[in-house]
Amino acid sequence: MANVLEVRELSKQYKKGVYASEKVSFSIGEGEIFALIGPNGAGKTTTIRMIATLLKATEGDAVVAGHSIITDPAGVRESITYLPDEAGAYKTMTGKQYLEFMAGIFAPDKEQAKIYIQRATDICGLGDRLGDKIGSYSRGMIRKLLLSRAVMSHPKLAILDEPTSGLDIINALEIRRMIKDLAREYKMSFLLSSHNMLEIEFVSDRVGIIAKGHLLEVGRPDELKEKHGVKNLEEVFERVVKDNEICISPEERA
Amino acid sequence: MKFVYLLKKELKELLTLTTILTLVVSVVALIALGGVMGNVMEETTENADKITLCNKDSGSYSKAVIEALVTAGYEVNEIEISSDDYVEELNSKDISDVVIIPETFSSQIEDVLAGKTVEKDGEKVIAPVDVEYVTRMNSLSITGNADVGSTVALSAIEGAVKSVVYASKNMSVEEIKLIESPVNLVETTVVNNKQAKESSTLLSAYVMMTSMFVPIVVYILIIYSSQMIMNAVATEKIDKTLETLLSAPVSRLSVLSAKMIAATIVSAVYAVGFMVGYSYMMDGMTGSIAGAVDSSVISELGLKMSVGGYILLGAQMFLSLLITLAISLILGALAKDAKSSQSLLMPIMFMAMVPYMLSMFVDFKTLGALKWVMYAIPYTHTFMAQSNIILGDMTTYFGGLVYQIVMLAIFMTLAVRLFMSDKIFTISLDFGQKKNKYAAKKNKKA
Ligand SMILES: Nc1ncnc2c1ncn2[C@@H]1O[C@H](COP(=O)(O)OP(=O)(O)O)[C@@H](O)[C@H]1O
Ligand SMILES: [Mg+2]
Repeated sequence: MANVLEVRELSKQYKKGVYASEKVSFSIGEGEIFALIGPNGAGKTTTIRMIATLLKATEGDAVVAGHSIITDPAGVRESITYLPDEAGAYKTMTGKQYLEFMAGIFAPDKEQAKIYIQRATDICGLGDRLGDKIGSYSRGMIRKLLLSRAVMSHPKLAILDEPTSGLDIINALEIRRMIKDLAREYKMSFLLSSHNMLEIEFVSDRVGIIAKGHLLEVGRPDELKEKHGVKNLEEVFERVVKDNEICISPEERA
Repeated sequence: MKFVYLLKKELKELLTLTTILTLVVSVVALIALGGVMGNVMEETTENADKITLCNKDSGSYSKAVIEALVTAGYEVNEIEISSDDYVEELNSKDISDVVIIPETFSSQIEDVLAGKTVEKDGEKVIAPVDVEYVTRMNSLSITGNADVGSTVALSAIEGAVKSVVYASKNMSVEEIKLIESPVNLVETTVVNNKQAKESSTLLSAYVMMTSMFVPIVVYILIIYSSQMIMNAVATEKIDKTLETLLSAPVSRLSVLSAKMIAATIVSAVYAVGFMVGYSYMMDGMTGSIAGAVDSSVISELGLKMSVGGYILLGAQMFLSLLITLAISLILGALAKDAKSSQSLLMPIMFMAMVPYMLSMFVDFKTLGALKWVMYAIPYTHTFMAQSNIILGDMTTYFGGLVYQIVMLAIFMTLAVRLFMSDKIFTISLDFGQKKNKYAAKKNKKA
């Protein structure tokens, strides 16, 4: 089975000589939920933005459903959706208008757009509030609206940067459940990121541990816990970082 | 005590680098403005005791008047004016005004001395002596027309005529009383390549009133549209809706061009709307302002803008708005948060404010080297547009137009480059926080 995403030694330098992410390689299969986990500043968003064709990679490549981010970024954009972290929406639009606008951009024709809007309306669960201005929405409501927007086109790969950060437990649970259901039902693949390592293990099939721009270890959460003989992913992270201290250049450690 | 802490915090928040910089630049701009104005005023007053004069009278009284002027400290420059085509005469002699003593001058003085009276409003008065004064309107700005001109000429000649009259004969007190003012100034104003018998003082008062509004409108439109566009771009960036759009299956160019075309349409609607409204307002006001001035003289001299004039004015206004749009796109993209987007408005505000203020007071063409500094600011040309169009300086108008188009091309290219590369997500600028970054760097080094 071909992988939906294949990341090969992807690197980014914002400033010459300083890697925000260095030689990151991983892959995501069909219907798989993959999470990049690591603390703030680890390089999650940088990696994600390169895959979403927003940032140019300094080195390496990533292939989404057969399209390279270097040679065919337009093809990549046809296959993905991206939900930035802490994203907002046009405050003067109503939820319904927002979905209509985004469906117009993602759908190939009007028929398809209608289907997208219906899907998003069902998924977001906002009901009548879709008729209200987004400016009046709570954080949780905006996130649900944006998530439903990100999956309404059933993309091959949905990229969600910190999808649950800043949300209360109930909202975070709902979002996680939505992601899991979509992956199972429609065989959609997800690339998530989170700095909250405890909650992410409930939603992801596999995780990649990233710190200071280096992807240190990739595997299933239970696999990793067993390997390091610890109870949760946070402790896995601690172990992995300690084991890999040698790999991270002394300059970066300082 | 607690209040002091609160007050300190509030002051610190208000006195950012941005606000201090704004203050400093404003003060420097005002001081510079004062210096420029001082120089211009000095020149006008210096020229106030120079009189260019043409004596067509062969009698002895005109010579006496000229002598009296010289004695009174005036520097009299005598020239020859042979035709009624004052446009040509002023141009060929490269002068901006001239006093003409008519052929009948001496005989008129003789009439005065003989106590010859005429009826005026049912009363008997001694007919004043005719003196002609021709002046060219060079500028619509305040100091540009502060050429003390006719007032000086009139009072100087009046004084000279009086001294001649009183010196030549002991008139009776009754007779002297009949001389209300010994001189009747017949004024001709030259505008561009047209001339009309009307006082330049009255005309420039009219023109100044009518040309006051365009710069205000231009200034407001520039500030308003730049704020509108910058906020739109900055909000898209801060809310990350731009990232969403640019990762969607649409080309970056179409996202950017949609933004630009929308803003262009809005700018065009503004420019046209204001031009139409302004032309109606002017039509309505012409009657009341003109008052003392004959409105047919105003259109005869071309001081009232034609439809073509409004189109030319609208064109430069539209260009200014497009330049604003391109710069604002760039500045908006540099914003990190709502507060920094406000401080980023500063460069546009100064670029609009300095030529706006200066254009009201001085004629840029008289500024020497400083003129080129002003011309380098693309907005300057729009602030000068009305004056250039009315006074027929089409070279300056079209030069400005071409410059604005070039500047627009440059800024548009920069904006497109910024949006097409990933710099749009990595670049950010914040005047207010530069200081903090510095501090952070220093800490790192330490
Ligand atoms: N626009 C930028 N310019 C320079 N450095 C950046 C920029 N964005 C992020 N970085 C740096 O790159 C590193 C990784 O950041 P990021 O990918 O945002 O991490 P994460 O998403 O894991 O929190 C950090 O050290 C951050 O400071
Ligand atoms: Mg991040």
